[in-house]
Amino acid sequence: MNGGRTGRHIGSILIRAIITLLMVVVLNFVLFRVIPGDPAALLLGGARTSVTAEQMEAQRQNWGLDRPLFPDQVVHYLSATLQGDLGYSFKFRGQRVADLILERLPATIVLVGLAQFIAILSGVMLGLYAGWRRGGAVDHIATGASLALYSTPSFWLGMLLVVIFSTSLGWLPGYGAYSPGTITGSLDSLLDYLRHLALPVTAVALGLIGQYVVVARAAMSDVVTEDYMVTARAKGLTNGQMLMRHAFRNAMLPVVTLIALNLGYVVAGAITVEAVFAWPGIGGLTVEALNARDYPVLQGIFLLLGASIVVANLIADLAYGLLDPRVRQ
Amino acid sequence: MSESTVRYSPRGRARAIKGFLRQFLSYGSAQVGLVCLVFFLVVAAVPNILVGPLQTAINATGDFLVPPSGQHLLGTDEVGRDVLNLVVHGARISLMIALLSTVISLVVGTTIGMTAGYYGGRVDVWLMRLTDFFFVMPSFVLALVITPVVLEVMGRGGEILGFRPSLFVILVVIGMTSWAFVARIVRSQTLSLKERTFIDRARVVGSSNFNIMVRHILPNLVPQIAANGALVVAGAIYVETSLSFLGLGDPLQPSWGTLLSLAQRAGAASAGAWWYLGAPGVCVLTVSLSFVLIGNALDDTFNPRRRVIP
Repeated sequence: MNGGRTGRHIGSILIRAIITLLMVVVLNFVLFRVIPGDPAALLLGGARTSVTAEQMEAQRQNWGLDRPLFPDQVVHYLSATLQGDLGYSFKFRGQRVADLILERLPATIVLVGLAQFIAILSGVMLGLYAGWRRGGAVDHIATGASLALYSTPSFWLGMLLVVIFSTSLGWLPGYGAYSPGTITGSLDSLLDYLRHLALPVTAVALGLIGQYVVVARAAMSDVVTEDYMVTARAKGLTNGQMLMRHAFRNAMLPVVTLIALNLGYVVAGAITVEAVFAWPGIGGLTVEALNARDYPVLQGIFLLLGASIVVANLIADLAYGLLDPRVRQ
Repeated sequence: MSESTVRYSPRGRARAIKGFLRQFLSYGSAQVGLVCLVFFLVVAAVPNILVGPLQTAINATGDFLVPPSGQHLLGTDEVGRDVLNLVVHGARISLMIALLSTVISLVVGTTIGMTAGYYGGRVDVWLMRLTDFFFVMPSFVLALVITPVVLEVMGRGGEILGFRPSLFVILVVIGMTSWAFVARIVRSQTLSLKERTFIDRARVVGSSNFNIMVRHILPNLVPQIAANGALVVAGAIYVETSLSFLGLGDPLQPSWGTLLSLAQRAGAASAGAWWYLGAPGVCVLTVSLSFVLIGNALDDTFNPRRRVIP
């Protein structure tokens, strides 16, 4: 184990992550300056608000908009963003973008977290089994179904779920997070919340399962043809011992990477699903911001998505290095 | 520098192509994908002959949200338009956006990947840093924030090259944000190609760098570009559908994603109008699955090593 080398490996991963994040912030800065109109007016809530000239001037100074674009404004923008100052929303007047996003984030985390959990459990198991028994009936069905799921937009699956389970059968609600009139905090309201959660979680999970099956199956079928599996069989290990001691561990490597990467991507993927179910998370906020041309909110969401993707990549890279010592060399 | 290039005999090339096609078409998945794709391309080519001009609220032919019947094979929407008419016209728009943005993506990705791999050194480092950014950030996320801003700057009226501005912006933005994957593959392939003797030979007889890249390296990259191009199309369809669903499309030129967005706004799901939201969704699923199947089959044909013997 070479400590210096490992340190350098982690260092280069960190630097790459920071550069990517910086590029997200700079892109935000450029986009905001490209929009026609006075940035101060935009930051104060668009042309719709009535502010006096003095207030405007004060804000211009406050945000450093009277100074040159580069480097003053860029540096100022970077430091403001780092401190969590993302400006003010146009639509929700006076509300800070950071507050709006933080308020909506828990609903998305619940939705996405639960969906990931279900998708990992079912998708990875199914994929590993299909790869272990290549060419079997389960393999054929699972591979076909997961390719189809992979090619299907998950929000459309959500719409189908609403038609089937909400409209036709009337089993589950297909809109919002709470029924009107429920008292928050009671057991009933928790059950009500879970019932509202069922369909959106299923839609997001179905969208993810396809990927997990495909990757887990490919990883497993690579492993079963390796020389050490032949050796294991020659040693007289049973199928179960081969699966648990050799195949499973090695096949999990790409799967773990995909899981880590997906931590970042699923939030973006859930946006359209949330739009279908009017789920009160980041996706709902995105749709409202798009419809109202609420650019500060949109850019705040972009920053959030960018940051979560960068962090997820960081975790994936580090996990890979941790699990596979060859990567560090 | 035509005298410096080795000419393959036409018969040898024809034999190579025939061999490739035989191998490619032996995959059942490739056959299914091709048949579906050709069907949709034909539909997209002549929508007016098949179902007449695009229906609007003014020349709608039916009642509101009528289930499929002999008169309206796929039912009608909330203003009485024939859904079959809408999805057939949507095919043209969805496929045009997907294919054109893929062309942009392949051109940008190949240029950047080949330049980085061929020149190496500092050019490589900077181009790959740029590629890393676009590789990590999904096209959908970038397009989500770039598209509305560009639209705000350009305005939403008129048409650009036959596209409504929002569709034009979407297709350019998808193309400009989805090339990183291609660039990486092209770069690694270029790195190995430039060490081969035929490149040295071309350099010795005095071919320029540009000439070597276009005439000697590019033709050898075609297999990789083709296999990944099919997957890029599938990705482009996904991004376009999602963006249009969120309301960034244009109702005057409805793609499948825009139709799904209209269905959602009209409450088709809670009204039980399965035909209205079902038809465009099935089209998206079929076309992107076809491209995935074709891409996988191409990949298997070009990289026989990847096929593990069961």
